[in-house]
Amino acid sequence: MARVDELVTVAIDPTGIPTEFNWRGGGYRVLNRPVRWFTRREWWSEATRVPKGVGAGVLEVEMWLLVASEGREKRHFELAHCAVGDKNQWRLHRVY
Amino acid sequence: MFTHLHAASAYSAHYGVTRPELMVEAAASYGMTALAITDRDGLYGAIKHIGACISVGIAPIVGVSLEVTDDLGERLARVIILARGRDGGIGWATLCSIVSAAHGYDVTKVDDRKPKLQRNKTDRVAIRRGDLARIVAESLGGCTVLLGNDSDVGQSVLANSRDEALALLQPWLDLFAVPNTLAIEVTTLLTEPTTEGSTLQAGRMLQLADFADIPAVLTNQVRYLNPDDAVTADVLDAARFLEPLGFFRVQPNAQAWLKPPAAMQALAREICADDERARRLIRDTEMLAERLRLDPVGDCGWGKPKTPEQHTLGIEGDPFRVLQEKAQAAVSYRYPNASVEQLRQVNHRLNQELITIAQLGFATYFLTVADVAQMIRDMKVRIAARGSGAGSLVNYLLGISGVDPIEHDLLFERFLSTERSSLPDIDIDVESARRHDIYRNIFKRYGSNRVTLLSMQSTYRGRGAVRDSGLALGLDEDEIDQLAKNVWRISAGSFRNAVGQKPELAAIQHALDSDRKMNLLVDVTERLNRLPRHISMHPCGVILGDSSLLRLTSIEQSGMGLPMSQFDKDDMDPLGMLKLDVLGVRMQSAMAYAVREIGRVRKENLDLDGIDKADSATFKTIRTGNTLGMFQIESPGQRELTGKHQPTEFNDLTIQISLFRPGPMKGNMIAPYLDGRHGFEEPDFIHRDLEPILRETFGVVVFHEHVLRILNVMTGCSLAKADELRRSLEDPRAKPRIEEFFRTKTAERGYPAGVIERVWQVLEGFSSFGFCKAHGAAFALPTYQSAWLKTHYPVEFMAGLFTHDPGMYPRRLLLAEARRLGVAILPVDVNKSTDEYLVEKVGDEFAVRLAINDIAGISQAEVDRILAERPFTDIGDFYSRAKPSRRSFEHLAEIGALDDLKLGDFGPKHTRGDVLALVRKLNSSKKRKPSEHDQPTLDFDFGDLPTGNPEPSNAEKVETELRLLGLDYTEHVLEQYRPMLDEMGVVRSNELVDMRNKTDVLVAGVRVATQTPPMRSGKRVVFVSLDDGYGCSDATFFDEAQRRCSHILFNTKLVLISGKTRRTGVRGVSIMAENAWDLRELWSQWINSRQPTADQNVLAS
Repeated sequence: MARVDELVTVAIDPTGIPTEFNWRGGGYRVLNRPVRWFTRREWWSEATRVPKGVGAGVLEVEMWLLVASEGREKRHFELAHCAVGDKNQWRLHRVY
Repeated sequence: MFTHLHAASAYSAHYGVTRPELMVEAAASYGMTALAITDRDGLYGAIKHIGACISVGIAPIVGVSLEVTDDLGERLARVIILARGRDGGIGWATLCSIVSAAHGYDVTKVDDRKPKLQRNKTDRVAIRRGDLARIVAESLGGCTVLLGNDSDVGQSVLANSRDEALALLQPWLDLFAVPNTLAIEVTTLLTEPTTEGSTLQAGRMLQLADFADIPAVLTNQVRYLNPDDAVTADVLDAARFLEPLGFFRVQPNAQAWLKPPAAMQALAREICADDERARRLIRDTEMLAERLRLDPVGDCGWGKPKTPEQHTLGIEGDPFRVLQEKAQAAVSYRYPNASVEQLRQVNHRLNQELITIAQLGFATYFLTVADVAQMIRDMKVRIAARGSGAGSLVNYLLGISGVDPIEHDLLFERFLSTERSSLPDIDIDVESARRHDIYRNIFKRYGSNRVTLLSMQSTYRGRGAVRDSGLALGLDEDEIDQLAKNVWRISAGSFRNAVGQKPELAAIQHALDSDRKMNLLVDVTERLNRLPRHISMHPCGVILGDSSLLRLTSIEQSGMGLPMSQFDKDDMDPLGMLKLDVLGVRMQSAMAYAVREIGRVRKENLDLDGIDKADSATFKTIRTGNTLGMFQIESPGQRELTGKHQPTEFNDLTIQISLFRPGPMKGNMIAPYLDGRHGFEEPDFIHRDLEPILRETFGVVVFHEHVLRILNVMTGCSLAKADELRRSLEDPRAKPRIEEFFRTKTAERGYPAGVIERVWQVLEGFSSFGFCKAHGAAFALPTYQSAWLKTHYPVEFMAGLFTHDPGMYPRRLLLAEARRLGVAILPVDVNKSTDEYLVEKVGDEFAVRLAINDIAGISQAEVDRILAERPFTDIGDFYSRAKPSRRSFEHLAEIGALDDLKLGDFGPKHTRGDVLALVRKLNSSKKRKPSEHDQPTLDFDFGDLPTGNPEPSNAEKVETELRLLGLDYTEHVLEQYRPMLDEMGVVRSNELVDMRNKTDVLVAGVRVATQTPPMRSGKRVVFVSLDDGYGCSDATFFDEAQRRCSHILFNTKLVLISGKTRRTGVRGVSIMAENAWDLRELWSQWINSRQPTADQNVLAS
């Protein structure tokens, strides 16, 4: 396993499930039905403002565990999807 | 289609985020046809939920979230328990008794043969599984238990041990064998796989249910409406755990929101292996929901008035006939000298009221209230009615109210009419010191199966919200204190706005630019605004029902030990429950005490309710403006108004009390009334028909009763109808309809267009600002009685005020008033003082003896011992028999309570310094000698008795008195600053009255009150009252002055104020303040600026 933590661009299907992503110049295709969960963020030590309506993004992060491949080798990837306000970011957290 | 069966509302204090009404509206907008409420540990939000469901047209479902333990008290699970619906109330009653049982009350054991309800001692809210199963089984399936993730079974599926999970499930299956009493709750909060709340856990719970062949239902463990609310839930968790965020396990994510049906169906598919199973999961959830849909009327007795059974009131036969006879019989008692004409009027009015009561079927209700009132009188407790109930002759005749509605021109229709069918509120004021005795007697009289106290939900306001937000964010306690201290009458909801505007919050405003935590604090504070915070006993509400009461409400223990309903006052009317407000009023206790002391010391038997209500000496006292201690008219604002108003008769008091209310003040009624009264303006009655109605207030519409009569006279509608119109006037949507009615009817009756127009404008503008005259008159009675006592028995009255502390001012201001009245104050003396402020005869005069129990730190047990063991001859005798703690012993010596005891058997004349030296010597010895009760004096040896210690100076005495008693009775605390004050030319408060308008002045004193009353302009004005030993000076701070010195106005004790005098009436002068300072700071500067003197260290420290 390798910790990565890099921004990636991700393509999603209409229900929000990732289908492809780009990482270090390579295009990866998702091969399985990804597993999704939501994990915590510690807004009290990270956020600058939490007014009503700020959105759940200050508190939780959508995580995806998926199998993808660039062509030959299949690998497991863990992607994090952060959406706070108008920010909408995908980060690659881990590669297995 | 989907129904949420697990949803906590904001009434789950420190857990839920969303008010039931909002939850229900959202559910309806999602197209849901039913919604459950399952608050934690109680049915707190249930009635509001049902009400909201009725109004949007979906089916209510009610349950509870409770902790379940095994027989040894070990936690097994937190489960959801839901009431079956449409079964004639069995399910609802079962749910109520389960919740009550979790709070320690086995309500199934109480009935008329055994009307006392015992509570099992428990330290937490939980129910044993065996007890839960028994109650559910006895009701033949009245409730369904949902066993979910947070359970022994749920934990073991997470550990992936199917055998263990099955073994743990077995006792649940055995105990809840009746069909439909147990189901598996399947929930995914989409947490990380393998953790609690994950889809994996949900899938295994479902498999377990299938394996054991019991139904499974899908929920989302809802605790907020939208994902955004999860932040608020975090903060509430912190408040519940009393730990900052980051120091406890927080919720896993923001998924516990009220998801719409499509989202729930998607979750079902995510959990289940195949779509068919997913569909069945949803279907089974709906099937259970269907069984649980409540019929509010059939199940909860919605809207059906409930009163005690006749036999409990000692009534036989038709209750209406009994009511009629009782009222009729009292006519000759209440109107002993009435003329034939007056009697005709009384009987006419009585018949009208009785007809209305008969039509509404409320005879039993009136008899119930009368029965309680009689019980209170039999206890020899003072009682008075308050509110619109004073407008009823029946109430007057039954002894519920002491105000004659005919004499004071009060209207029954404002109180009760056939246009409304809800039970009216009759509020009773009693002596505060006896309130709990009265509650206990009500329980005894009607039985615990018919009575319970009312609860109330306190909600987050400014200060509390700031505190809990600060705690959650990990601010240190000092910082939180500092912040909270300055939050004064600020709604948490507009906190950021307030921070930008209020000068005393400038520090926060400043921090917002740079401090991230401070920004979070402000945001979080706003989120908490108005959320229910905790439940407590309502200050005056008692619910009286029939023997089925505890099948309709759940109960828990109140602060005073008696059970209270989990429903609040807003729930009473929808449920049809009879709520009696028995409010403890300290003034009633103070007056009862004064009457008792008059009887004890002077042997005079005084009937306070029978005194002449037109006593000119009493009104003379009131007009001086020295109203301190007088009920309702002692606040700075009322004092100022008294000076301007100069009341001369009882009705003036009614008017004055009514005028000084937010409504009339906002409606700008005071100035035109005073102008008319003092002849500055000719009263304008608009039309001669209105003159008789408005004569008393010089043409100003003040009372609801005025509006009723105007509508009645000008449109010809009945008074009952007029009250309905008046109520509707407050509703902007209804107003056009009423305007049309008014204009048409008055035009038909020939009023000129100009008159119609002007009257309508008055009605439209003033009606919502008005006040109920009956309420004002009911208040005016104790106002007058207290003024009368103060006029004729000032010593006894002051003793009553000291003992029961009824007013808004600290005791030391009462002391200043006593000084002004020439009432002598006697020091604490262990041989003479008791736990009350006794009146003592000294020569031919009467004086007030200070009580012993107000000394700082003295315990009730110590006081009891002193009272039981005295008299004491010397200090050793006191020491060995009263057995004071070291600290109390020293305090008693310091305050001078031992001054009159001898030092030893043959001590010389001694000073308080000698007493203190001896006490310290005794305190320093290791062990107290064992006392022998039959030995009057001590014979053990103290060694040499101390002599030659100096008597403390006045300044030292005052310092001690303030520290230990809060009463500077040797001299006023300000006297020590006199040299500086005289040098600065500071004016004494009693000199203000002789000063010209707009003179520049300085006043000083102890800050005794700071008020920010509602103002017409909406701008905040701060009133500060200072006491300087010569009376009170009242200063007004407007915007600019507030900016200069806001830090002084709310927190500083000794204050110097500069400003200009402002004449407000014949006897009224207040100060338009310009600035304020901390007197102690000025003093130390002053001292430093001169040569050091010997005694400065006493004060400057």
